[in-house]
Amino acid sequence: MTGTLLRPTRRLSGKADGRAGTRTSARRRRPGYWFVLPAVALFAIFFLYPLLSSLWQSFFSTTGGVSTWVGGAQYMRLFHDPLVGKSLFNVGLILVIQVPLMVCTALGLAYLLNQSWLRFRTGFRAIHFLPAVTTLVAYSLVFRVMLATDGGAVNQMLGMFGMSPVDWLNSEAWSRVALIASITWRWTGYNMVIILAGLQGIPAELYEAARIDGAGRWAIFAKIVIPQLRPVILFSSITSTIGALQLFDENFILTGGGPNNATLTPVLYLYKVGFQQFDFGYASAIAWLLVAIIAVVSVVQFVIMKEKK
Amino acid sequence: MPKSLKFVAPLVALTLLTGCASGGVPGATGPKLDAGAAVSGQITVWSWDVAATALKRLASSYTKEHPGATINVVDIGYDNAYDKMSVALQANSGLPDVVTVETDHMPAYIHQFPKAFTDLTPLVGGAKDEFDPSKVSASSNKDGQLLSMPWDSGTVALYVRTDYFKAAGVDPKGMGTWDELLAAGEKVKAATGHALISTDLSTGSLFQMLLQQQGQGIFTPAGEINLTSPAAVKALTLIKTMNDKGLLDNVKGWDGRVTATKNGKSAVMPSAVWWIGTLTGEMPELANKFTVVPLPAFTQGGTQTSNDGGSTLAVPTQAKNPQLAGSFVKFMLANKDNQVSMMKDEGLFPSYLPALDAPLFHEPQPYFGGEKVYELFAAQTRKIPSITYTSDNAKAGDTVSNAVVASVLNHQDPAAALKSAADQIATATGRKIAQ
Repeated sequence: MTGTLLRPTRRLSGKADGRAGTRTSARRRRPGYWFVLPAVALFAIFFLYPLLSSLWQSFFSTTGGVSTWVGGAQYMRLFHDPLVGKSLFNVGLILVIQVPLMVCTALGLAYLLNQSWLRFRTGFRAIHFLPAVTTLVAYSLVFRVMLATDGGAVNQMLGMFGMSPVDWLNSEAWSRVALIASITWRWTGYNMVIILAGLQGIPAELYEAARIDGAGRWAIFAKIVIPQLRPVILFSSITSTIGALQLFDENFILTGGGPNNATLTPVLYLYKVGFQQFDFGYASAIAWLLVAIIAVVSVVQFVIMKEKK
Repeated sequence: MPKSLKFVAPLVALTLLTGCASGGVPGATGPKLDAGAAVSGQITVWSWDVAATALKRLASSYTKEHPGATINVVDIGYDNAYDKMSVALQANSGLPDVVTVETDHMPAYIHQFPKAFTDLTPLVGGAKDEFDPSKVSASSNKDGQLLSMPWDSGTVALYVRTDYFKAAGVDPKGMGTWDELLAAGEKVKAATGHALISTDLSTGSLFQMLLQQQGQGIFTPAGEINLTSPAAVKALTLIKTMNDKGLLDNVKGWDGRVTATKNGKSAVMPSAVWWIGTLTGEMPELANKFTVVPLPAFTQGGTQTSNDGGSTLAVPTQAKNPQLAGSFVKFMLANKDNQVSMMKDEGLFPSYLPALDAPLFHEPQPYFGGEKVYELFAAQTRKIPSITYTSDNAKAGDTVSNAVVASVLNHQDPAAALKSAADQIATATGRKIAQ
């Protein structure tokens, strides 16, 4: 890769002195490496080292401050632990409901905001994108306050319509609804912007040709917009899937994973195992299980993308 | 040269990796504390809620006696306290000179981080026997070193809204058993529309309180899982019955409990003596509305108290100024006057037994309409059933809370929910289930 980048330089120096050219370029590469060194060092310290360290740790069990090598025992434990299953089930449930809901909403919004007849388009886009720039913790805390059973804004509003208060964060079903609603609020605008970019990449000629052929609004949407957007929608769906697998902040703050583990996610579970029960070996094994799942999802994404092209 | 640089990243990582197996656990025990050492400099103390208030207040009297010392008390908030401490313990850096650790968290810390806390025995010497013995054992390691100093006890009684009971025509003093309290609760609900108890089911603390009232813990003294015992089923069945009758108000977290009490959502609160501090501090407007009675018993004449929480102060081996830290801890806790003063101002009930002789414990309390509530707590403290804490209490706690939620909110049979929790704990810890 480096060679390709430096090829023009070599050609330039080659004009002056053909043989010295290679040597010059080799010497010229050196400062380049010094420039990337900070990035490499940061990557090694803050990404690679923790990564390998956790892999190493997943083969140990610590009791009484003493680590002992247990081989693959922590990985075997994953299969017998009902909470691992439950946390994956919860994520699956969120995926099946939340990702389609969010991608469809984002698609609808993006399509609307791409219409030339709409006024104040920039303003609307900014408003929809705003949730994506708020911090996870801040918005989760705001949701927690709004969803409080006793005197929360949402329940007060329901009360105005004569409805009895909903136990948002204390019941299994409602806490899942609350979690899905908050993630959807946070990420719809973000996905909308990505889809909007995809929409604007569709050549105007396609629309024009379709209209000449007499296609209606719906036919254009179904036969031109959707197929053209397929890679973008796929990208949104895959990143949202990975995002859901890594869900932590929202359920940690809203429900703490409860009630009865209804909103427990793998990352929250590994956090509890590691930092509340001090079982860092097992927590690392959970982390690597997650790495494996996400790797599979990503490979699937690559394969599908290739096929469609 | 450029080629070799390509390998820098993995090399750096590998060099770092080799260091990781030895990381995390402190290599040496802390410094040996000297009770008579001269102190100076500054320390940082982590605490929360009324405990932090007490430390801040008495820090100034400490610095008056020790002019060279500066005490910096930080209220880190209860919700994040243990996360912060656990991370700092694991990383072996980031802890202040003194930390507040609740009594029931201490055994897990002692077991998992055996070298993380400084032995406080040299500071108190023979005076160790003057602390509540159950607290001393929870704070000691197997070599008998005192790794945190007992601060306050969590003697439990029942806080009752007298106005609600009056409206229902029930005498709060006449409730000897939980059955009688439930009957009273139904009358109160009919008369006032209020629930009986506000609690956060997802913490499981009410269940553990009721279990300890019957003299049992999550583990038996032999270290076996004790969730299938009749006492455990009885405790969970009681909570479920309460909920089924509409007498339970499920709230979220500490803030939820405080808000529910402040708003008068329920008629009674089974809680520890430190709840007085929260009542007088956060809801002075409710003065004269509460009375305190012993906890209802499971059977007539049974134990009428339990334990809920209580704290200790520990000096981590990471402390930069352990001598000053130790001296401050001793000044706060192994000291009759200061313990009495914290009882008076913050409602922190002393674990230091000589303090219980103070006249304060026999004085009428204006907040409770002139009743001598401390006398009641002092009398009940001696009756708290002792239970066994194991290194797995932290691990089991979550599973137990989920069993409580599964049974009470999802209408699972209490015995079945507890059996499945016991099975899970057995798998996770390798412990046996007691027969």
